[in-house]
Amino acid sequence: MSDFDIVTTKVLIVEDNLHFRTLIRTILQALGVETVEEARDGAEALDVLTSFDADLAIIDWKMDGLDGLECVRRIRSEEDSSNRYLPIIMVTGYTEDSLAREARDVGVNDFLSKPISARSLMSRIISVLENEQEFIETESYFGPDRRRLQAKYNGDERRVSKSALAEKEGGVA
Amino acid sequence: MSDDNGVRVIKAPDTLSRKVIKGGPGAVDPAALERAEAVIAGMADSYLDWVEEDLVKIQGACDELKANKDKPKAFLDKVFGIAHDMKGQGGSFNYDLMTILGNDLCRFIESIDDMTDPDLEVIVLYIDTMKIVISQRMSGDGGEEGRKILSGLDLVFKKLTRKD
Repeated sequence: MSDFDIVTTKVLIVEDNLHFRTLIRTILQALGVETVEEARDGAEALDVLTSFDADLAIIDWKMDGLDGLECVRRIRSEEDSSNRYLPIIMVTGYTEDSLAREARDVGVNDFLSKPISARSLMSRIISVLENEQEFIETESYFGPDRRRLQAKYNGDERRVSKSALAEKEGGVA
Repeated sequence: MSDDNGVRVIKAPDTLSRKVIKGGPGAVDPAALERAEAVIAGMADSYLDWVEEDLVKIQGACDELKANKDKPKAFLDKVFGIAHDMKGQGGSFNYDLMTILGNDLCRFIESIDDMTDPDLEVIVLYIDTMKIVISQRMSGDGGEEGRKILSGLDLVFKKLTRKD
């Protein structure tokens, strides 16, 4: 893993679950990040972004209130958006391809699958850093070039299942 | 730059990479990552408090579901939401069984069209199993006990969901 110093990076966490917010904040701080803001849903995130000049947002997909997808869509597409180019990592417990496509189509830069770890979060931050993307604007889309993300996502981990664990352990599914 | 199809390619501002120094004094090297992982491991007690709260919440949602079997949708969604959060947290704190059980419970709820009594029993079974995992502090894959729990759960699951 590349040795990046991310101390001065300003990060916005958007997550409705207090425990997850605490976990992500703790990991970021353990990785050295000094400036972290939090929002409890998409609407609060849009509000925070009007006064917080974030360098990166980590946004949960499934939230009560304005969810992650709609939040990203508004960041990317609304004319009065405070930062249309904001790098966005979407955190999700869903790993089905069709859902990934949905997130990709609203303009996320990368995905982080739950459960998360310091290693997995840092690897996603590095991925966003190392893939400074060209943005694409069409009549129906504004966001990072979707081709790289789709190719990458197809190779990522799939959800864990009881049968997969049993198989891994040599047991009966 | 815009092509004939109305596709405009824009170079995004590099605000993030301008903030990051490769190999700077706070560089996240393997040792720094290990330290960060150790910080999370040190939160295990907090996790156990959190998951106990979640178990109370999911039991409450399940009780509501039982009381509203005729109109279960909203209560199934509630159980699903809590199970989904439990799935997401378990593995971060080395409670992989909680991630597996939470995931399987979510997938099961997604598969329900018209909820039957056996469906409800399966949901109760998953919640009871999660309680055992936490009360017995079955971290990781739970070892031999974990395997027994999963295979026992699977047998009861198959029995309850058999369509004949």
